[in-house]
Amino acid sequence: MLKALIVDDEQHCIDRLERLLESSTYNIQIVGYCKTIDEAKKEIVKNTPDILFLDVQLGNETGFDLLSQLNSIDFEVIFTTSYDKYALKAIKFSALDYLLKPIDNTELDNALQKLRQQRSLKEASKKIDVLFHNFKESNASSKRIAIPTVEGFSMMDTKEIIRFQSDTNYTHIYTLSQKKITASKTIKYFEEILDENMFFRVHKSHLVNLDYIKTYTKGKGGYITLSDKTKIEVAVRRKDELLQKLRA
Amino acid sequence: MPRPTKNKYCIILICLVHFFGASQQNKLDSLKNELQAHALKDTIRVGLLIKLASEMTYSEPNQGFSLIEEALTISKKNKWLKGEALAQRQKGNLYYVLADNLNALDAYQQALVLSKKITDKQLESSILSNLGNIHADLKEYDQALENYHAYLETSQAMGNRAEEIKALSNIAIIYNDTENFKEGVSYLKKALELAKLEKNNLFVAAITNNLALAQKKQDKPQKALENYQKAADLAQIIGNKYIEASALNSIGEINALLQNYAVAETYADRALSISKEIGAVEWQADSWKVLSSAYENKGETAGALNAYKEYVTLRDSVLSEEKKSELTRKEMQFQMERQQAVANEEIKRQQLVKNIYLIGAILLVLLAVLGYYIYKRRRDELEKKKTAEFNAKVSETELKALRSQMNPHFIFNSLNSISDFISKNDIQQADDYLVKFSRLTRAILENSEKKSIPLNEDLELMELYMQIEAIRLENKLHHKITIDQDIEPNNTLVPPLILQPFIENSIWHGIAPKNGDGHIDIKIKKEGDMLKYVVDDNGVGQPKKNMSEKKSNGSYGIKITKSRIDILSHLKNKKGSINLMDKPEGVRVEITLPLELQF
Repeated sequence: MLKALIVDDEQHCIDRLERLLESSTYNIQIVGYCKTIDEAKKEIVKNTPDILFLDVQLGNETGFDLLSQLNSIDFEVIFTTSYDKYALKAIKFSALDYLLKPIDNTELDNALQKLRQQRSLKEASKKIDVLFHNFKESNASSKRIAIPTVEGFSMMDTKEIIRFQSDTNYTHIYTLSQKKITASKTIKYFEEILDENMFFRVHKSHLVNLDYIKTYTKGKGGYITLSDKTKIEVAVRRKDELLQKLRA
Repeated sequence: MPRPTKNKYCIILICLVHFFGASQQNKLDSLKNELQAHALKDTIRVGLLIKLASEMTYSEPNQGFSLIEEALTISKKNKWLKGEALAQRQKGNLYYVLADNLNALDAYQQALVLSKKITDKQLESSILSNLGNIHADLKEYDQALENYHAYLETSQAMGNRAEEIKALSNIAIIYNDTENFKEGVSYLKKALELAKLEKNNLFVAAITNNLALAQKKQDKPQKALENYQKAADLAQIIGNKYIEASALNSIGEINALLQNYAVAETYADRALSISKEIGAVEWQADSWKVLSSAYENKGETAGALNAYKEYVTLRDSVLSEEKKSELTRKEMQFQMERQQAVANEEIKRQQLVKNIYLIGAILLVLLAVLGYYIYKRRRDELEKKKTAEFNAKVSETELKALRSQMNPHFIFNSLNSISDFISKNDIQQADDYLVKFSRLTRAILENSEKKSIPLNEDLELMELYMQIEAIRLENKLHHKITIDQDIEPNNTLVPPLILQPFIENSIWHGIAPKNGDGHIDIKIKKEGDMLKYVVDDNGVGQPKKNMSEKKSNGSYGIKITKSRIDILSHLKNKKGSINLMDKPEGVRVEITLPLELQF
């Protein structure tokens, strides 16, 4: 039995989520709902929920503000939003979970299932750290990213990453400290959330950090040599755009 | 003799070809006969022509030119440079004899160039000598010296002593004429030495005579007398009356100056008789002058007067002769200067013409550059305008595409459907519909700003769209999507929702009005480097013309799609197309797009 708290400033959204959770096969107890950050803070202290369903937009404030005002976070967070591109990107960067409104019960079930598989609450706290780091850090090149792996999550500075290499549904990540991490996401997932001015998809199976390209060697598509001396083939159709980026 | 008699006592050792050779009539005739016999235009004829012209130099110089011209023509035709050079030299000789120094110089110069080309030293030295003579005549002493020095060098190079002596004496004469006696005497001494070595008494006599003249002018009467005596003695031995007369006359003159009138009279008498013999008028005058002063001194007044009269008469005739030649010379010089002036004028004119052409060319280039610049600016402006227009078209089309996908009909029809489900209390269906509707709306909004998305994602959206419409049509709509094997859906890029207006058309104007189930069949194929969508429905066919409202809605979406395909065709430089055709049952739409791959 997991205790859930719902934070949303619109009553009908709360009602819908309540209804969906009640009819869900997962055993969830709703300990309350609140519409403001202040109420939420009190409820969290009082009820110590295991799951917090948190709306991104709360009147003039955001769900992120609530999290930043808490001393410790010992619960899982699932964000809810109807349409907020930038917030979604930040959430994805931290590998936190989210539901799009109106919430679909299949997606809710998926989210709850993932939650059950979570190893420890420590990871939730780490992911939220990543989120805050990225909010505080205005410098685009120094973002932290939570990378979902088979074992759990790996937090990493984007500056640390030299390149991504696709392996069907997995992605290998090669870092400056010569580590290799295998993520349980496709290369497309990373291409979408990472800054396109920092990382470039040179090939179907390769996403590279532009800062670590040492040389480009001409050819049909040519190839690039990275700072760790690996040579990466460039797809013919990506060549022009790559050269444009390198010149800029 | 047109040659000016400036150096009146100086025996000049110049030699034109056959200069002293008096022409003999019989020799001329025999040459003429020989020439007639040899009509063949070859080098032998050239030789004969030149020889004949040369024989005619003094007797009939004007006749010589036609022969020389023929010799030149034949030589040029045969490319015989030596013949050409010899002919030019003879032409110079003819002009020289006719006192046409200008043309003579010209001919000699040409001959010189040719002789240098064939490296004939003999020829070259003779020409240089003649050039020197002419310049000396024209008092162009610097050029005369230059030519004589060259003449000296060539004769030394050939080892021809006689020529060398001539060159040295001629140089000496120039120096003496310009009163540089020191140089003059030194050259004469060199010449004298060589002449003695050669045992050429004529040369020795002439040079000694010239040396004496120089010494006389240097105010060394004793030395001069000594040398004149030597010259006179030697001349007598070899029987050269010219030198003898000149020397004796000079001895008389010097003695008269030294007031040895008796000696002076003796020498003047001897000189006079020889001068008379050879018909040297000037020298006769000089002799009379010496005699006049000698008689006067003796007190023979009548004899002195008579002698003086003789002197004056002869001097006047000489002077008039001299004046005539001086006049000719002046005229020549004037002509030469005029020609020079004309030539300078011509050079100036040509320079001016050249400058005008140059300025014209520069102006033309400047004009062309300016023209190009203006043209380029206009072209760039047009290009810019075109690009701007194209960009405007792109953004306008993007906006319209979004509006057509999110068209109000679709939105309100969907909302009506939800309302309908709720009123019928079919909450589950309403919720299902609503979730799908919001997912589609979100996807359309997200993709509307993308130029292209992977084919698989686009087809998922189409699928979702058809599911939504199927719910509204109470599941009387079925569909099937087939992708060819040789297409990689996740690596093929397509403009988002390009098919949507056609499918909407098929559903609402084809299948909805139809009794019974409808079917939409979507096939995606690859044709070369084009991607082809084929959409078949089995609806009622295209709307009739009077159903204006429905038609306009359908054609609006299609118009936008057409516009989108145009833009794509323009960007990819490949022609895309849309084809709508009626079938016995339903409509077929074919859309062709440039195939674009992600990797």
